[in-house]
Amino acid sequence: MAVTKEILALSVEIGDALLRNGAEVYRVEDTVMHILEAYEIENYDVYVLSNGIFASANEDKDDACSMIRHVPLGSIHLGRIAALNQLSREICSHECSLIDAWKRLEECKAIPYSKKLTRLFFCGLGCSCFGYLFGGNILDAVTAFFIGILLQMFLDNLKQHKSSKFITNILGSAFVTLFALLALFLGIPLHYDKVIIGDIMPLVPGIALTTSIRDFFNGDYLSGAIHMIDAVLTAFCIAVGVGTIITLFRFVLGGAFLA
Amino acid sequence: MILQIVISLFATLSFALLFGAPKSELFFCGLAGAIGWVVYVVLLGFDSGITIANLIATLALTVFSRVIASIRKNPVTVYLISGIFPLVPGAGIYYTSYYFIMNDMEQFSSYGMETVKVAGAIVLGIIFGFGLPQNWFNQLQRKR
Repeated sequence: MAVTKEILALSVEIGDALLRNGAEVYRVEDTVMHILEAYEIENYDVYVLSNGIFASANEDKDDACSMIRHVPLGSIHLGRIAALNQLSREICSHECSLIDAWKRLEECKAIPYSKKLTRLFFCGLGCSCFGYLFGGNILDAVTAFFIGILLQMFLDNLKQHKSSKFITNILGSAFVTLFALLALFLGIPLHYDKVIIGDIMPLVPGIALTTSIRDFFNGDYLSGAIHMIDAVLTAFCIAVGVGTIITLFRFVLGGAFLA
Repeated sequence: MILQIVISLFATLSFALLFGAPKSELFFCGLAGAIGWVVYVVLLGFDSGITIANLIATLALTVFSRVIASIRKNPVTVYLISGIFPLVPGAGIYYTSYYFIMNDMEQFSSYGMETVKVAGAIVLGIIFGFGLPQNWFNQLQRKR
């Protein structure tokens, strides 16, 4: 009988998709269990880590099966999480057959990010708003807007080359700092610190921190620790990126320039 | 003050879009961020100190996220992750590394400690926010 396998595969696959798009461990575990129960599998075990899923079902019967998934820490897509959540709700209220569920899962996985130009614009807008909120003036905000757009282009470019997270963060923050200081060097009277702060916001590990806390709160200490290390290392990389460029400018132009 | 609300709303909204939040929820994501930021600014105005302000702002943000998540039937994560951005100590990270390079150890340690304290305050704020029992929020769902 292949039904158990089919059901377990579906639930683990949904869990995988959730985890990949940045859901917290507790939600993934809960979803997988609920789906298994909805399809009337009572004897199961699920263990989820922030980068892996282990699940088994009907171990004491003939059609026993178990599955393991390795899920690397990926990029966040909130829309997919919301859609998958909706899907699992429908499965649990028995509105969705197994075959439909597979189809819906593929749809959920394929929800795209917004278009490139929209992303560029909103990255700029976000950066400039943060630059203003943290005490910059209008000029700082406008500069941050343009640097934000450049940053998003740069990040998109890096993503295509699949560079590691560390490199992305170091280069990204270095890139931002370089442009902010160049603008200052060209004679625009900026509060360059506010510009830089606004523009590193897309890199700052807010999500890793939040997810980590929620994992800790639900008792998933191991996953919480993994996310916390992720957050700390990201912060460290940003500091390295910013620091390198500032040092470089001070070295080339003398200490008085950035005093 | 209204300007601050609008700007923090747009700031959060833009980042929510970057992280692929559903279009129908973008406004609420922005609202979550604005609420966190406004509470933070108001408390700073009352001279509460940056740690307490962050703690209470995060608490307000978490509770709001849970309420709106129940009403809109979406995961809390969608609102919470977007809304946390204005409170995350990005400025702290910057100043800490800046003064480290400038070799100004006094400023470095004070900003470093402040960043750690703010991160701690955010942690506690979220934990307290999730400490409230879920069935308070479930009632909101049934009413709809």
